[in-house]
Amino acid sequence: MAAFQLTAMPLPPLLVLLLPVELDATRLATGWAIFQGLLIEALPFLLLGVLIAAAARWLAPDGRWLRRLPSGPLLGPLSGAALGFALPACECGNVPVARRLLAGGAPLGTALGFLFAAPVLNPIVLASTAAAFPDKPWLLLCRPLGAVVVAVGLALLLKLLPEQELLQPDLLEERRLRQPLSEVSLLERRSGQVGALPEPALPEPALPPATLERPSLEEVLRHTSREFLSLALMLVLGCLVATLVQLWVPRSWLLAVGGAPTLSILALMLLALVVSVCSSVDAFLALSFAAQVTPGALLAFLLLGPVIDLKLLGLLSLLFRPRGLLLTTGGTALLVLLIGQWINLWQL
Amino acid sequence: MVRNPAHDARNGAILRALALGLWALVLLRSCVDGRLDLLLRRSFHPLVALSGVVLLLLALLQARWAFDSVAAAPSGRPPQTRPPGNAPLPAESRATASREGGPARSRRRNPGERLDGLTALATAFLAALLLALPPNPSFADLAAQRPRDEGSAGELSFVLPPAQRSLTDWVRLLRSQPDPALFDGDLVRISGFVLPMPDQPPQLARLLVRCCLADATPVGLPVRWPSGSPPPEADQWVAIEGRMVMEARPPGATLVVVPSRIRPIARPRYPLEP
Repeated sequence: MAAFQLTAMPLPPLLVLLLPVELDATRLATGWAIFQGLLIEALPFLLLGVLIAAAARWLAPDGRWLRRLPSGPLLGPLSGAALGFALPACECGNVPVARRLLAGGAPLGTALGFLFAAPVLNPIVLASTAAAFPDKPWLLLCRPLGAVVVAVGLALLLKLLPEQELLQPDLLEERRLRQPLSEVSLLERRSGQVGALPEPALPEPALPPATLERPSLEEVLRHTSREFLSLALMLVLGCLVATLVQLWVPRSWLLAVGGAPTLSILALMLLALVVSVCSSVDAFLALSFAAQVTPGALLAFLLLGPVIDLKLLGLLSLLFRPRGLLLTTGGTALLVLLIGQWINLWQL
Repeated sequence: MVRNPAHDARNGAILRALALGLWALVLLRSCVDGRLDLLLRRSFHPLVALSGVVLLLLALLQARWAFDSVAAAPSGRPPQTRPPGNAPLPAESRATASREGGPARSRRRNPGERLDGLTALATAFLAALLLALPPNPSFADLAAQRPRDEGSAGELSFVLPPAQRSLTDWVRLLRSQPDPALFDGDLVRISGFVLPMPDQPPQLARLLVRCCLADATPVGLPVRWPSGSPPPEADQWVAIEGRMVMEARPPGATLVVVPSRIRPIARPRYPLEP
């Protein structure tokens, strides 16, 4: 069957209604290709993350080891960040794993530390940064350090919110089941002897999570399929937004203020948000404009993108409620701006 | 309305199998129909193919279990509602069951199941859309939106004889050796797409990609197009044979490609350069 060519066909009526009139068929065809590029590049990493989460669910169904991870305000995020070395994937792959950590009852700070720092603190990203900037040793040091600072800062910030205001209800419910009764009441857990029992006819004592049985492979893969599809849907939405913004905002606008210390940081933060490129290759992209921007702006680009971008927003919305998402975005922006300013003061 | 939970579960599994199968098809077909060459850097291609195979396996397993479950529970009893004996449910099942609202609602289709079905349906539709509409970007349009690549000259690993240098090799070489006199008169045999320039004649350009088309940045060389005939249209791919010639352009002398032969060509199989 001969496939349609987007440039050679009239726009579907729905797209015409949704898109601004300035987008002609050529621009739309280009946007469609950008969208496909973003999506197809991210899907393997998403699948990798979902499969790692499934393996963790199957190999350690009780999640006992997760609850033994350090939970201190500083040690928790730091240990979570260190877990990044075990998962050489970009931020799309980290979201399902972080979701598993949270659902498995891992300390909040640890899971958040992993979510925010692991996209930078993994061997592939560090190696690609070193390959792209062999002549900038300060960057090789400041990128991982900055990622840890951002992760710890965000973990401390988000811990200010009660979990029920931070996490999505279904994730919270699954998490409650794994948390010990010393931390969560039966009412909060919504199972056991008080709350919504799945089948009251059968005894379902409030067993400690450690006694949970290993689910069958079928059940794990069914859950994995559901998780992949729901995350893929969010990824599609994120890629769509990132593409539309790329079509509307010429990148040269963002790089036009490259020489101004603060403005350049803000512009490169916006660029990272819009481009939504994966953390394993963002250093090579940064290489193409490194000479045009301040050092602080360069580092800001490399720090912000792995934590938050338009493509990631959809995925993160499966973890966090809107308030948590807003706090994450604002907190990251503030921390990265401060780090960028400090670097500019030091390097300029 | 009383529903058959076994059929609901089977329908959900079939929808998931369909969606996963279509996504697998998107990834696998992209690997063979040249779509990936247009979208991604080549180092990512094996990863995409492997993901397609994994998704296909997942889809086949889902489909098999869907039909097995109905065969095993013909009376309509959903399979694996409870583990045998008094063993506790796995946490996911307990969470799902409590979301479903317990036994009072077990004969109706629960919201979680409906949401799963809608998600599978939506993703299946999107995958079908990707299959039906392959990408066909305008490189000139994309390049016009992007600043020039200013990557370091260190990316040039070795220097080829002039006639074997690609357009990207030339750009990197000129960046590393900015003195135009060094290359004046050199033979040029390059290909690229025509990129219109504001207030200047069009250049011959290529897109450099680190990851995917979203991060593409253009590099280009100025060309002295033959007078008397209009330059090729934007986005047209051409192969040029000619020489490098020094030309005085503000702020100083620069090298321009002076073609002796211009040949329109089809877009090459690997249009993106690393």
